[in-house]
Amino acid sequence: MRAAEGFLWMLAVTVGAYVLGRWLQRKTGSALVNPVFIGSGIVIAALLLSRQGIQDYSACRQAVTAFLGPATVALAVPLYRNRQALATRFAEAVVGVATGSLATIVAVVVFGHWLSIGPVLELSLSLKSVTAPIALEIARILGGNPPLTAILVVTTGITGAIVGPGFLSLVRVHDPVARGLAVGTTSHAIGTAAMLQEGETQGAMAGVAFSLNAVLMGLLAPLLIPWLLSLVAQP
Amino acid sequence: MRFFRLAAQISALAGIFRLGSLIAERLHLPVPGNVLGMLVLFALLYCGVIKETWIADGAGLLTRHLSLFFIPIVVGLMDWTGLLIVSGPQLLIVLVGSSLAGLFVTGRVVQLLARKTARVAPARRQAEAKS
Repeated sequence: MRAAEGFLWMLAVTVGAYVLGRWLQRKTGSALVNPVFIGSGIVIAALLLSRQGIQDYSACRQAVTAFLGPATVALAVPLYRNRQALATRFAEAVVGVATGSLATIVAVVVFGHWLSIGPVLELSLSLKSVTAPIALEIARILGGNPPLTAILVVTTGITGAIVGPGFLSLVRVHDPVARGLAVGTTSHAIGTAAMLQEGETQGAMAGVAFSLNAVLMGLLAPLLIPWLLSLVAQP
Repeated sequence: MRFFRLAAQISALAGIFRLGSLIAERLHLPVPGNVLGMLVLFALLYCGVIKETWIADGAGLLTRHLSLFFIPIVVGLMDWTGLLIVSGPQLLIVLVGSSLAGLFVTGRVVQLLARKTARVAPARRQAEAKS
């Protein structure tokens, strides 16, 4: 009885915190005001305030995360809607996404090795450009840290959405297709939302890149990342 | 009525997710079941076995609120605050540096390829692509 009550409370807090985060984001119109940051911050605060809550939260976590699987499957729908954009630029999209994704992972391994952050953090970081539900699954397969992976994915999305367009202009990438693909590859759904504001083509290509990267990484990362990490692990 | 339609559509998506997970498990593929499920659904839509309208509402609801579903996972960071305080700055440096590397490579590679092929293919009709 008590457990069920606690479960409902935590569920209400989680959904309420998310709704508040979304409302604030719409109100401010800033990528920095992210529903995941605000939502999880509120839930953590609520759990810290109520000693009881921490035990109850695992049930709530299971209930809410049960939707992650079906939600990832649902990502096939936007990819299907973008199929024409994908078909007309198929070669560019595949090559661009694959090289950019690889560059990101190599940069993580190189920078990470240089700052000696350790294999678990390198693994979680190397998944940061993949959309969260898929990054989480790969992290689970490879023994990464799921909560850390999730927060890194969201932070990467926000970073790309904020600095991406300016940085691309700085390095003289002006082609709308290239800009959309670049931000979609590095910053998944959050970057896609930002590129939709820049233009129709940019938004569509970002959507293509984000789904394509999810599929490519889902298929290749479980083999590729351990191999890259083992390369730098050698003395 | 709308509630039941959404529930049925989400159940169908959950079924495809189960199927994807089952394929990965049975064939011992080192691939996430949700990625396989996504590919299965894309194939079914592409071949016209499933009409987009049959699942569009449920799929839209789930993808729109995707971030809600991983808030409980991020909450797990509570147990890792020490790690974040110690390694936070390094994590941020690697994160930003590697993101810029990815942006640069994809942007430049695509622009190079586009110049070579110099195709004219304005990708229209995608305003509604990601709502």
